[in-house]
Amino acid sequence: MAQFAAWVESTWISKTLFGISWLWPASESLHFIGLCMLIGGAGLLDLRLMGMFRGLAIRHVKALMPWAIGGFFINAVTGALFLIMQPHLYLTSGVWWAKVAFLGIAGANALFFETRLAVPALAMHPDADTSTSMKVIGAVSLFSWFAVMYCGRMLPYLGTGN
Amino acid sequence: MSVFQRLQQSAFTDWFLGSPSIWAYPTVLTLHTVGMAILVGASFVINLRVLQVSGLIPLHRLQPLYRLVWIGFTINLVSGVILFITEAADRVVDPVFGIKMASIAVALALGLVVKRRAIDRIDAPQAASVQTRSLAAAALGMWTVAIVAGRLMAYLK
Repeated sequence: MAQFAAWVESTWISKTLFGISWLWPASESLHFIGLCMLIGGAGLLDLRLMGMFRGLAIRHVKALMPWAIGGFFINAVTGALFLIMQPHLYLTSGVWWAKVAFLGIAGANALFFETRLAVPALAMHPDADTSTSMKVIGAVSLFSWFAVMYCGRMLPYLGTGN
Repeated sequence: MSVFQRLQQSAFTDWFLGSPSIWAYPTVLTLHTVGMAILVGASFVINLRVLQVSGLIPLHRLQPLYRLVWIGFTINLVSGVILFITEAADRVVDPVFGIKMASIAVALALGLVVKRRAIDRIDAPQAASVQTRSLAAAALGMWTVAIVAGRLMAYLK
């Protein structure tokens, strides 16, 4: 992995991007803005699936999802930029791989919700309590996203990041 | 020596910034990010709804979301005060820090005005007035300024 990171860092694209002095701090700001959009939209849906915030219909909360997905997209792009510019900070860090694993869990969990639970969930009354499986899906999602955030923010301080 | 210099040069600051423990600086910094996600995330959703995104949610049903706003704000007030103490003399004269504090104050004030005008009334109409909507848009703008200023504080010092 360290060799692959060194190779990426030797490429023209990596050097050029890292040479743009404002790109790293600008990407960091965007990464934080995208994080708020994602946690705001997806987090509220997760809490509602967990049975909280009754009075909000799940189908109405779900209308926020394009904005949450937009936040995720911003973070995927800026995250890819960090990875291309300084791959050695991430590819050799166990904490970064833990972050990727939690991203995978959050993604698989969302896919499971969409394919198995979305239809009954969207049909629910605004005040109705949710089923146990919906509560589990909501809790797994919320935990995974905060774990992604924790790993990302702690990356410089845990493990082999600098 | 000013109170800000005394804080920045205190034994607490030496321990906090010098400690190799992840429970010192890294954890407080991470809590500041978690609080931001809760505070700005909830504010983002509220203001989007006032701007007619997911317009079928009755406006007064957003009221419980302010609990999240205050939870996030409390986390960030506490973690922010700790982080400020350790850099007090530098930050008190830092214009970027001033912009961050001012934009947070304006964003919170706009949030309270939007709450009073569009959300606290059970008979509130389904759509906020154009004036209230522009206040919500301004609040989103202020949160964006606060985030960018906060991030840039790491570079411009």
